[in-house]
Amino acid sequence: MTSGRRHRRGWLTLVGDPSSPHAAGLRRASADEAPSLRYDVDWSILMARAQEGDGVAYRRLLEEVTPYLRSLAARRHSDASDVEDAIQDVLLTVHAIRNTYDPTRPFGPWLVAIANRRLVDRLRRQGRMRSRETALTAAHETFPAHQANVDAGTSEGRVLERALEKLPPGQRQAVRLLKLEEMSLKEAAAASGASIASLKVATHRALRKLRKILSIRSDA
Amino acid sequence: MITTPDLIGSLAANLKPVRRLRPPATRAACWLLLAALVLALLAVSGIRPDLTQRLRDPTFAVGMAASLLTGIFAASAAFLISLPDRSRLWLLLPAPMLIVWLSTIGYQCLTNWVSLDADGIHLGETVRCFATLTLTSLPLSLAMLVMLRHAAPLRPTTVTLMGSLAVAAITATALSLFHDLDATVMILMWNLGTAVLIVGLGGMLGRRMFSWVAPRSLHQRA
Repeated sequence: MTSGRRHRRGWLTLVGDPSSPHAAGLRRASADEAPSLRYDVDWSILMARAQEGDGVAYRRLLEEVTPYLRSLAARRHSDASDVEDAIQDVLLTVHAIRNTYDPTRPFGPWLVAIANRRLVDRLRRQGRMRSRETALTAAHETFPAHQANVDAGTSEGRVLERALEKLPPGQRQAVRLLKLEEMSLKEAAAASGASIASLKVATHRALRKLRKILSIRSDA
Repeated sequence: MITTPDLIGSLAANLKPVRRLRPPATRAACWLLLAALVLALLAVSGIRPDLTQRLRDPTFAVGMAASLLTGIFAASAAFLISLPDRSRLWLLLPAPMLIVWLSTIGYQCLTNWVSLDADGIHLGETVRCFATLTLTSLPLSLAMLVMLRHAAPLRPTTVTLMGSLAVAAITATALSLFHDLDATVMILMWNLGTAVLIVGLGGMLGRRMFSWVAPRSLHQRA
């Protein structure tokens, strides 16, 4: 089995005489060729301890694998919050099925297999969601906003503005407050200082006058 | 949203020791032992009277051995691929025996079509067949489901299909052990029909059943 042979090679560098040039060469070779191998043995030990309930080892293990998971997740997700969500999903899965890890086997493939399954599941779920739901864009958000719906540029709006300018100031103010800004009579009275009765009269007259101005325009 | 370091902290703080899973071969053997137990209990109520005579027929003997081996191999494959780091090629393990099993049924159809006798299908026998079907497949399916629940976040569909194949093959073996199904239509129905039914149900409901028995922390997340 390859994993067994790898383990033995890792041990060779550990138990050899550190001062001998041969051991130094071996150590350098193992550090150059397979830095992940060293992690792998460490992680196996940490996970084996975690299975026995060692919280410190478990925390160290999860902290060490997180950057690695982040690089895996970043390959499949572009959004940063998606990447963090994916990492947390993988960590929770590792936690939930930590009893399936066999310490005699390498840790790396176990972790990568779980991570890949969860990442692919996540992408599928997102794909399904996107086919059914539409994300709100800036355009969607502008429509509910009040400013976007004021249609100042249209010709009807301009005609009404011009017609309003022809009204006497009192009537113009009454129409603006009550009709355009949609205030109640009480609010309009408070805002303008006029009595409710006079506002009513002013509005009535203003509307009659506007109707006349606009009908003349449409006749013409 | 909780940050990743916080999550790690809370996972490590609430860590409880877990018992490692036994090797997949051992777990498959346990499940097969349960299957043997179920078959033995059913055998107490009576095996088919002409079994020794039928076993001399090579087609019948090969077919039954093949269905039994399909069950054994499919169970082993299901336990193997339920682990994250095992190769998916284990799925091919039961394939040769499955082919042998299906081809013996096909061979029987081609060479020796036994039509239903004059009485047609006996209602009593059919009911007993259904009883065997339920008594075998139900406990075995439930045991498989609980034993493989850790596969829920990994390969739910594949593992369920393999597990269902194991249950289906064992059930088909039980049916040919305990009931004299000599009419070819009956053999087809009770072998293939059962297999298709169980594998189909497994495929359809597998995901849902798994989410029901899945490890709890995944649920809190979802």
